[in-house]
Formats: sequence, structure tokens, C-alpha cells
Amino acid sequence: MVKYVLKRIGLALATAFIILSLTFIMIKLLPPERTTGQESQQIAFYEEQVRLGYAYSFNMEKPELGEYLYKTNGSSGKSTYYYQVPVMKQYGSWLKNIFTKFDWGVSRKINPNVKASVIIGERLGYSIRINILSVLFSVPIGILLGIWAALKKNTMTDHVISTLVMVFISIPSFVLIIFLLLIFGYKLGWVPTKWPNPTDPLSYKILGYILPVFCLSFGSICGYCRFTRAELCEVMESDYLLLARTKGLTKKQAILRHALRNAMVPIVPSILAEFIGILGGSMILEGLYGIPGIGKLFIESLEYKDYNILFVDMAIFTTISLLAGVVLDISYGFIDPRIRMGAKK
Amino acid sequence: MKKLCKKFSVLLMVLVAGIALVGCKTDNPNPKPPVGGDVNPDYLSLDDYKSYMVYDLENVVKNISGQLDASVLKLVNAKKEAGVAAMNAAKSVKEVQAAFKTAKSEIANQIPLANGVYSFISLSNEEKTEILGLLEAYGVRNGLTGISLYEDAAYQMFHPRVTLGTENYIIGYGFGTLAEGAITADLATEKNEAWKRYYHIIEASDPGTIYYHNDQGSQVGDLYTFMSAGYFTTFMNETKDGYDWVPELAKEKPQAVNPQTDGSATKWRFPVKTGKDGLKYNTNSTLASRQAFDGKEVELEDYLTPFKLLLNQKNGLYRGAELANQTTAAIKGAQAYYNASGKGEADFSSVGVKVYEENGLEYFEVEFVNPMTQFYAMYYITSGLYMPVPQSFLDLVGVKNFLGFNENKTETPVDNSLSLGAYTLERWDSGQQIVYKKNPYYVYASTKYAIEGIHMNILTAASSDKEAGIKEFLAGNTDAAGIPQTRLDEYKNDPRTRVVRGEANFKLNVNATDEATWEYLFGENGTIVQNPKDNYWKVEPALSNAHFVKALSLSINRKEYSDARGSIASVDFLAPNYMSDPINGITYNDTQAHKNAVAGLLADTDGYGYNLELAREYFKIALAELEASGKYKPGTKANPTVIELEIAWMYPWQETSDHNELKQYFEDAFNDDSVSGGKYKLEVKFWTGADWAEVYDNKLLVGQYDIGFGSISGDPLNPLAFLNILSSDAGISHNFTLNWGPNTNDPDVDLLVYNGYRWSYDALYLAANGQTIVENGANVPAYQAEMTDQKVNADGSVTSTVEIQLTLPEESEVEVQNVVMCWYQEGDEGYKEAVVLEATVVSSADGKVVLTITTSADLTAEFYGEMGFDVIFALTINGVTTTEMASVYGMFPMLSE
Repeated sequence: MVKYVLKRIGLALATAFIILSLTFIMIKLLPPERTTGQESQQIAFYEEQVRLGYAYSFNMEKPELGEYLYKTNGSSGKSTYYYQVPVMKQYGSWLKNIFTKFDWGVSRKINPNVKASVIIGERLGYSIRINILSVLFSVPIGILLGIWAALKKNTMTDHVISTLVMVFISIPSFVLIIFLLLIFGYKLGWVPTKWPNPTDPLSYKILGYILPVFCLSFGSICGYCRFTRAELCEVMESDYLLLARTKGLTKKQAILRHALRNAMVPIVPSILAEFIGILGGSMILEGLYGIPGIGKLFIESLEYKDYNILFVDMAIFTTISLLAGVVLDISYGFIDPRIRMGAKK
Repeated sequence: MKKLCKKFSVLLMVLVAGIALVGCKTDNPNPKPPVGGDVNPDYLSLDDYKSYMVYDLENVVKNISGQLDASVLKLVNAKKEAGVAAMNAAKSVKEVQAAFKTAKSEIANQIPLANGVYSFISLSNEEKTEILGLLEAYGVRNGLTGISLYEDAAYQMFHPRVTLGTENYIIGYGFGTLAEGAITADLATEKNEAWKRYYHIIEASDPGTIYYHNDQGSQVGDLYTFMSAGYFTTFMNETKDGYDWVPELAKEKPQAVNPQTDGSATKWRFPVKTGKDGLKYNTNSTLASRQAFDGKEVELEDYLTPFKLLLNQKNGLYRGAELANQTTAAIKGAQAYYNASGKGEADFSSVGVKVYEENGLEYFEVEFVNPMTQFYAMYYITSGLYMPVPQSFLDLVGVKNFLGFNENKTETPVDNSLSLGAYTLERWDSGQQIVYKKNPYYVYASTKYAIEGIHMNILTAASSDKEAGIKEFLAGNTDAAGIPQTRLDEYKNDPRTRVVRGEANFKLNVNATDEATWEYLFGENGTIVQNPKDNYWKVEPALSNAHFVKALSLSINRKEYSDARGSIASVDFLAPNYMSDPINGITYNDTQAHKNAVAGLLADTDGYGYNLELAREYFKIALAELEASGKYKPGTKANPTVIELEIAWMYPWQETSDHNELKQYFEDAFNDDSVSGGKYKLEVKFWTGADWAEVYDNKLLVGQYDIGFGSISGDPLNPLAFLNILSSDAGISHNFTLNWGPNTNDPDVDLLVYNGYRWSYDALYLAANGQTIVENGANVPAYQAEMTDQKVNADGSVTSTVEIQLTLPEESEVEVQNVVMCWYQEGDEGYKEAVVLEATVVSSADGKVVLTITTSADLTAEFYGEMGFDVIFALTINGVTTTEMASVYGMFPMLSE
């Protein structure tokens, strides 16, 4: 088992490495960043690129390095040519800095001069808190609704729940928050219209969680509800549950002792999968509600081409997703004793 | 006879039938009288064309008559009359055009070309405004000012608790909200008791720094302004309709150290305040190391620190590069120091700034390269960038962290900044809020800036949701918000709404080059950028026709277009905040010089440059000319000749919000049957890039466009200097030219007459902003430099000979300061390095300065191959000294071979 887990973790990290490498290379293959402004400002910009190791400068053309990024119009016809450093060379330096110094570089635009890893560290907590709260909120409600619908199968209650689930599962969290913000934030003034500031009172900060947690939970609630209902309905029609009832168990006892336990086997791992999904879904929502989390940061780093931050953010998302996958697989073994991970035949 | 009569009757019947058939043609019921030559009678008669061209010729003379003395004007008028007569006698469009061209050329011949060394920098504001008007008019005539659409004015709502300094927006100043305004009640939604009376606004993004010294955008500059102080500042005047300049860090107005007869001077000294006058730094940092600076007195030496910071090339600051490469406001020795500092050897004492005490007063003195009037000496040194800072503070926080966060974010901009301005940073929560608190030590703290602080909420949704700001305002969370286009009708007339005048005029920039000029500027050997043949832009010939561009301008209903956007319709090149008299706050657009320049755009229009019928008339004239020159051939109604114009925009959404409306204006005007009877069709296409800046980078700045939307801002208190962006010379425009047309250093392109002489645009522009050498009306460089010889000496050293040929040997003096050698190492690193050497001037005669530079054998052996010298020298022409750098190239031999 331990060997299996270690193997899976190793594979996850290798996958993360490949994903990050491809991301780095592909992003660096995009047209390099340019700037506008007076020549003196352009020179300052490209000299900065030289210092960062992204560009070379020469006082002559170097066609072998491809198209130049910028050419100055120096006095007496003298020009300085700026060329992009080859992508694989940048990649080598990037890896070297990460593995030897754990240096992911500094931010250029979002928080100029601040280490990318520090920025991520500062913001990770916001996203994790929102997402964990969302999971804690959505799991019981979703499962309870699912059980209720399953127990009331083919009744009006079931139809109403199932229909609402179908409708609301289709609405993305960021669409929902716009709508709810308008009503509960701007019209009624019950909740903050943006994420509360650190200086705001605790009660106001708590109110600030309501909309994002609710919006992130909505899709999950629907998902759990649908899943639980389907699993429970299937289990409830199984022979062993019929046997349990014929042996004298009450419906409640049969459901609690047998049906639910079996139905939970596929549901519990799905909670982990849902957590990963919520992380992705919170990217746009964070931006809309001004939550200073890593989702919003991801969008900002793309928008501002602050690639060092983007790479750390990618690393976090990738690692969380892959490790969650590992935990997901392992969790099957704990939930269902019939499954033995990495066991020999 | 009977037979003859019968034949005559048949002929008559055929004739009548023929006439009847012609008369019955439905598509041309009222044929115009036949006209000669190459004019298409369907849309323009030759007489009509002649009358327009006579009008144009009269305007040519009208535009220059004020600059000519009576005798020359008489000759000019005679040539004009002859030209009018020749045009009236012409039989075709071509002949009319030839007669017009000849007349214009004959008129030009009567006016002498400017020759010599000129500098108009010390002229009065009125005289400079006159030059500005002439340059603007040149731009209008030649399509270089583009087609202005609107001033980016806006409707803004203010919370009733905010009392504005004035109810009417003062151009170049504003409402005086912070300086003269007040807040009369708490903001209910603010949770922090201490901040309830702060002025609350939103920002769409957090810039993460207020390091304005190293930033290009406006947001950082705005945030820095709250806490910075300058030598002078402006406050609203007593009548609340303008503003006054008042000392802030300075004690009084600057004094000329070396005054010239006209009152200008290159050296100015400013009596400044220090700790002795109660000037103290303020910080709200809680770090003990920073608190030591709270209340610290400003020392005289602190005034030099920002210059040392900016001009050290190793610090790599944007504004430092800008300061070093200033032209109009260049500080003596700044550029040389900047270049040398990057190479490790620099002596700050060579920079024209110093501080000293004299008779109990403390002075900051600056020496400019060009003479300045008192106002511009004051203005150019007033920037908050030059606010004093103790060197010990910079050493403590580090140059990289100054005004920002440190690498580990344990220090915020609150900790890494010191304020002398009206407010001091109080708190900075990344991505959430930025808060300023009133600086109790500020020099005007007791009389101005009554508002206790500024609170900025970072609302990222505002960057994508245009209504986010007003929603926050209406919810009572902020004190001010702009009204988006979608809510204009709802809130435009709300009592809380005020109109904010614009600071930029948005326009359609036009590529008015013909094929030859485009190739000269952007071709394989282009002077701006070089393009391979397969990347040549296919210029639209119609756009190089001034009448066509004028027709486009006339076809836009600016009033309707601007009203829908909450802006103000405008044909002006400059926004109203550009001042012709910055001391008295007179906007350039209100001057007669400007009104003359745009008179042609406004004549016979609705007051905003719109006249549909006139636009169609000008389209007809343009078509007649373009056909006569063979650039277009008419099609048929079924298969018309298509003139395709592409308009480049910043964002994809502008297609529906902006482009389609303009497209309709153009196409409705041009494609109307009355213009060409369907023989031509105008098709307007939409273009946008992946990023907003692409319209500048990939289109406007590099000539790859027909028409492009955009604007550019310059120095509002020196609009004359800002007109550099109309030049086709990248050295003058600093690569900021958005509209392209003729070569602006050719005095024969158009008649630009000032003070009785003919000038090229570049020559007059440069003379108005400094000193320049003019030959036959065109600007010429002051010198040419080249490496003429390199020989290896017996000891292995190399002696290189450099010749500097002066354009005006009689008037010029050269003093070589030093030489910087650069070389380039092949290989992956490809770095460049430099050492400073000494040069020996071996001869100086016939305007040729010959100098030799000897490079030691070791250096030569180490760095063989391609190399070059930057020869830095002081060039004095007519008593005005500038620092020049001539770059020459050579090759070190490989000594071992």
C-alpha cells in the first residue's frame, strides 16, 4: 500500500512537472511582451528584460537570433538591438532557480518586486477557506436533498427537487453571484457588495462569506443531490435491501444501515473531485467579488502577462488537482473494504 | 424636291425620336451640360471643380498673408491672380490641378527659405501660440492631425455629503474636491469609525506600488500625487474660475542666475524650504526603523537625492531614462551622467543641479541646456518626482523597494515611503484597499485639504463591468462615480451629476501617405521601421487626397456620436487642458491661432464639423482628382469600384459600440447616389488586435493601417513641445507619430510660413522648442562623425582616428569630454561592455575636429572584433551649449593573427 501511494505521488509530481514545463515553454513561445512609450522608456523596459534574463542586447543585428524585439534609433545611426533569449535557455534558468533556490522569480506587474511564491502564499488561504466552507456547506445539504428525493421517488417532492437540480446545475457560480449580488448586495444591502477588507469588523467579514460560499456550493449541492438520489435509488432496489426488509428491519433501519452505507461508496470520493472543480470555478467568481485568492490572481497574471506568478499559480492548481486525485484513489480503499490498492493478487 | 423633303422628314423624325429616347432615360433625367476633359459629368462639373480649387488657392494665400511683409504679399497676390486665371482657363481637371500646383509653387518662390541658426524658445506665450497655430494648421492641411471625434469628457456623480471646491469644472484643475472641498457627513457604509469622513472612491485594480519613478502608466502617478509635493503647486483662485501657481517646497518663484536680455536663462535657482522652515517628513509606518523618519526635518541635500536616484542608469528607472533623454527641458550633463552611470563611472557634480546656502537662504539650482522663461523653469522642476527624500531612507529601504513592497512583503508601501504631500499612506491591503491619511506636516495643512483622508476600494469587477462603479455609488459605498454610457439617459440630469472636461481628444488617425512616402518611411530601407516587400501595407490612394479626408471628417455627426457616449464633440487636435498661457490658465483651443487652424474644418457646418451635403461635395471633388490622376477608374452601378477602408480599434467590443456607427456615417455619405451615381462604393471594415495596445504597436506607430482609433497625451502646459508627434522624423517624435503623411522636413510639401520665411514643419518645430540649424528651410544635423582610420602600433596598442564634421564651423565650438568604448562579445551571452577612455584632439580646422583614441594592447587583444566609440562632447552654437554623443564604428584586429 505504502509503495503504491508513493508511486502514485511520484507519478503525480512527474505529471505536474511535465504540465508546468509545457506551460512554461508554450507561454514563452507566445509573442514576447513589448511596450510602448518614448524611446528612452522603451530602452529602460528592454534593459530590464535583459537584466531578468529574457532578452539580449547587441549593437548590431543578429539575424541568427530571429527577429529583434526592439531597435533603438541612436544618434549617428548607431542602434541597439534587443533579442529574445531562446525559450529553452530561459527554461533551463527557470528550472535551475526553482530546484537550487526554490526561486520562482518576482512579480513584474501585480506586485512589482515581490516574490511570486510569497504572493501565492498570501492569497492561497482565501481560496482554500472559501472552497472548504463551500464543500462543508454543500455536502450535507446535497446528500440530504438526494436522500429525500430518493425516499420520495416519483412523488411531487422528487419531481420538484430533480427539476430544480437540473435547472441550477446548469448555472455557473459566477453567473449566480452577479444575480445574487444585485439583489442581496445592491438592492437589499444584506450582504457586502465586495469581499470585506481586513479592517472591517468580524461580523461584516462573516457576512462576506455568504455569497461566494453559497454560489460555489450551489452547483455542488445539485451534483451531490443528483448523485445521491441515483445511487440510493439503485441500492434501494437491490435484492439485499429487500432481504434486509424481509428479515424484519424497518425501512429507516434498512436505509441507514445498508442502503446509505453502500450508496456512499461512490459519493465520498466524488467530494474530493468536486473540491477540485470548485477551485477552478472560483477563478472568475473571485474576480467578480474581489476575493484576493489564487483564482483571481490566476486571471490577473494572465491579463498582465505576469508569468512568474502564473507559473506558481499553475503549479499550485496542478499539484492540488493531482494530489487530490491520488487521495481520491486511496480513499476508495478506506470506504470500500473490497478495494485493496496496490495489493498483490 | 419631294424626294428630298421626304428624306428630310424621315431624318427629322429619327432625330426627334432620338431626342425623345434620350429624354426618356429614367436614370439621368436632368443631364448636366457637357463638360470638357476628364471630369465625370455624372457627379461633378468642371466649373464646380474650378470654384473649389480657386477657393483652396485663396486659402493658401490667406493662411500665409499674416506672416509676409507688404512687398512680398503683393507679389504673392499677383501670383495668386495669375493662378486663378490659369485655373479658370483650364479645360480639364488635370489642367486645373497643374495650374493650381504651378500657382502654389510660384507663390512659394516669392518667399525666401529660412537659413541659419534659429531659436524661438524665449518668445512670449502669444508668439509661441502663433507658431503653434501655424504648426497645427499645417497638420490639419496635411492629414497629420487625424479626424478628431470627441473630447473624453464624462459625466460624474458626487455623493451629497461631498462639497466640491467649485460647481463648474476648471480646465486643467478640476473641481478642487480634495484641496478646496469638504465632507459634511459620515459615510454610513464605512465600517471603520476613523475613516467615515474619508473621501471614498474605487479603483479597478491594485497597481501594487506607487513607485512613479519606475512606471509608465497614469494610475501609479495618480496615487503618488496624493503624497508627493513639488516645488510649486496650483490652488483654485478666489473667483473659483481658474487657478494660481503657489510655492509648495519652494519659498518663492525662481531667480535667473544667468539672465539673458529677453529674461530667459539656462540657470535658475529656487529658494527652498527645509527643516528650518518647518518642512518635515511624515510616515504612518509602524516599523520602528521607519518611525524614526516621522517628523524628520528636510535637509538641503535631500533635494539632490531624487536626481541621483533617477539619473543612475543602474537603477533602471523609466522616469530616469526619460529625464536623461529630455529635449525641451534637458538638464545640463544629465544625459552624459546617465550614460556614464550605466557603465560604472559617473561624477554627479557634472549634472546641472546643485544646492547651496547664500545669505541665510537655501537654494536649489538647476542648469538647463536650453534657456527657459521663469514659468517653464518653475514648471519643469515642479514634478513630484523631484520631491526630496533622505539618502539614509533610500539606503534603509533599498532602491528596489522604495515606494513599494519588499520581496517578502514584510514591508508595504506605507513603510517604504515618506510624504511631504497633502496625504500620507496609511494602509495598503493588496487587492483590497489603499488608504491615505491627511499629512499634519503638509505646508498647507491648515488652510487646504480639509478632507481627512482618501479611501480606495479595489473593485476588480469594475475592469470588466462598466456599471460596477455606479452600482457601488448608488449603494452609498463611494463618493464619486462616472456614469457609464448605458445609464446616461437615467442620470445625466441628476442633481448629483457634474460634467468633467476631457484630457484627451479621441480621433481617427489617418494614414495619408502615398505609396512613395510609405516606402520612404516604412519600406525595406524605411526611416521609421523596415519592412520586407511582402509586408508592405497597401495604402489606400483616397486617403492621401486631402479632399477625401475632409469629406470623411464632414460626414461624421459628431454631436450625435459624442452625446451618445457622454463626451463632447470636437474637431480639435488638442484637448482643452492644453494651455497656451499656463500662467493665466488660458486654454489653447480658445485662442485665435487655434480657431484659424481649424476654421476650414468648421466652415459651413453645424459647429462640430458636420455637413452631410458638403461632405458629398468633397467626395465628388476627391473622385474627380483621383480619377484624373489615374488612381481609380469608375465602375458601373452593377459592378462599382470599391474603395475599402479599414478602421483599427483597441477592443473587439468596439465594433458594435463605436465602429458600426462611424461606418454608417461614412458609407451613407459616400455611397449616396448623388456622389458617384453608384460607380464607386465605400466599404468600411473593422479590425482589432488581441490586446488594446496592438492598435498602436502593430498599426498606427508602424504605418500598417488606413484609419486607426486612438489618442495620445502630452505635456498640457507645453502644447508646442507636444506637437513633435506630428513629425515624420522618429528622432523628433520619439516614435509617437500616429498620423502619417508627407515628409515633414521637406519645405516644398506645403507652404509653412513664419516671420517672412518658408520652413519645413520639423525646422519650425525644433526652432520653437530649442535651437536648430536650418538650411533651405529644412532642419539639418549640427555635425556628422565617422571613424576614418585604425592602425596597430608597435606596442600592440591601436590608435583610432575619429572626425567630427561641423555643419556651421564658424558658429560652433567643440569640447570633447570623454570617449566610451563599447565592444561586443560573440557567443551565448552576447553582452556588451564599455570602458571610458581619453581622446586627444589632434586638429580642429575647417569645421573638422579630428581626435585620436589609443586603446592599450591588452584591451585590444582581449576584445578584438567589432567595436565602437561613443564620443561625448559639448557643442556650443551661438552661445547655447548642448551635450552630444557621436557614435562611430570600427574593428579591432586579432593581434595574434
